[in-house]
Amino acid sequence: MGFEEQVFPFLTLRLRRALENLRRVVPGQWVKLEEIRLRAEKPLQVEMGASWLVTASGELTAEPEKALIIKTEDVQRTLQLMGENSFYTLEEEFKAGFITLAGGHRVGLAGECLVEGGRLCRLKRVTSLNIRIARELKGISRVLLPWLTRAGRPLRTIIISPPQAGKTTLLRDLIRCFSNGEELSAPVKVGLVDERGEVAGSFRGVPQLDVGIRTDVLTGCPKRVGVFLLLRSMGPQMIATDEIGRPGDLDLLEEILNTGVGFITTAHAWDTKDFALRPSLQRLWVRGLVERVVILSRRLGPGTLEGVWDGRAKEPIFSQVQRLEVRR
Amino acid sequence: MKMIGALLVIAGGGLAGWVYSTLLKKRLTLLEALIQAFQWLETEIGYASVPLGEAFTTISGRAQEKVKPIFGAFTAGLNSRAGLTADEAWQLSLEQNREALPLIAEDWAILADFGRTLGTTDREHQVTAIRRTYERLKHQAAGAEEEYKKNERLYRYLGIAGGALVVLIFY
Repeated sequence: MGFEEQVFPFLTLRLRRALENLRRVVPGQWVKLEEIRLRAEKPLQVEMGASWLVTASGELTAEPEKALIIKTEDVQRTLQLMGENSFYTLEEEFKAGFITLAGGHRVGLAGECLVEGGRLCRLKRVTSLNIRIARELKGISRVLLPWLTRAGRPLRTIIISPPQAGKTTLLRDLIRCFSNGEELSAPVKVGLVDERGEVAGSFRGVPQLDVGIRTDVLTGCPKRVGVFLLLRSMGPQMIATDEIGRPGDLDLLEEILNTGVGFITTAHAWDTKDFALRPSLQRLWVRGLVERVVILSRRLGPGTLEGVWDGRAKEPIFSQVQRLEVRR
Repeated sequence: MKMIGALLVIAGGGLAGWVYSTLLKKRLTLLEALIQAFQWLETEIGYASVPLGEAFTTISGRAQEKVKPIFGAFTAGLNSRAGLTADEAWQLSLEQNREALPLIAEDWAILADFGRTLGTTDREHQVTAIRRTYERLKHQAAGAEEEYKKNERLYRYLGIAGGALVVLIFY
């Protein structure tokens, strides 16, 4: 099933028509679709390599007045349908600011918030939706695997990149390879703490995206709690988590280090210099807690591999710039 | 011949009275079945936090035959993939069942009100709305019961008496 079948049924008819037209008009670019953005009283916008507005007849345009304008009702109705008409089951999601659709597609929410005692209670009126198309690119991490293991043991790895460069997609495929034992002497039991639900794309607790056969997933659990839960109960040989960068995350990694279990995670940073300067990540770099740093960018499109660094020696060990591609 | 006709008219009047009082009874049992279903719904949503489609499927499986169509048509509307919101699917279901069920306008209005916030608020508010709905239905049921008890015989006798009156006038 393509993502169209998973996403289109939730959209209002006029949006569905515009996007179906778009798919017909520019099929070449359609396969690069990353995001569909709906904002109340603003033009329909898509991210497909570049940022475009879409007309009712499905043509790409840069002129707002030609584009299809999203009505407030389009946003409300789409959200109601996405939430299976049952907002009361999504209370946590309204606090976290996103919901996950079957197929692992993430929908980011923004709008008017309800705050109590300085804390975000929930979104009370949603006016912006960001539908992020989850893509599985199986096999993109194969070229990297030899650099991220030593004698069949996974090295402690962090993937860094600017936004929208394919961190999560790469992380997912690496977990899958380790877990299935692809290109490795032995498979690895992986414990994945998927705090934001983006890696495994869980829908009602069941991963919708392939994270391998030896992976136990904790969805929606704070990393701090989740990592220890998995270490205690599931006996993983490697811990994987989604993006780190909050205070406290580093302490967590240090503690994992003490248990001798491997880990793999991602972080927002442009390059190793930026990485070394980010206050929340600095310690990781300075103390050489990670053995491998994989750097991605969008230079040749999403999923451009800039290189792999040795986190201890602090020097590149692989610096052949290339687009990560699906290899079988 | 005239005698048989007169008897038929009286019997007809009696039947009309009986039908009316049975309708009252039917409305009462229907209201009671609805109240029970809404109380189940309170559990499904309030405690188990089950999505609407699932909750109503469970309820329509357990509910009395007479009220099943309301819940059945609603879940069918939700699952139709026509992009109906919960309110739209609910109002549509009420519309489809209006002819077949012996409820009065006030009862329908309570059910219609229930749809307005269906699925669009948090759990607490959903539960409040469900409670308010079955409390109002209980009120209707109490009224219906009273009317039934008070007037059951009255309507039957009135039917017969009406028939007799017609006979007296035209005999």
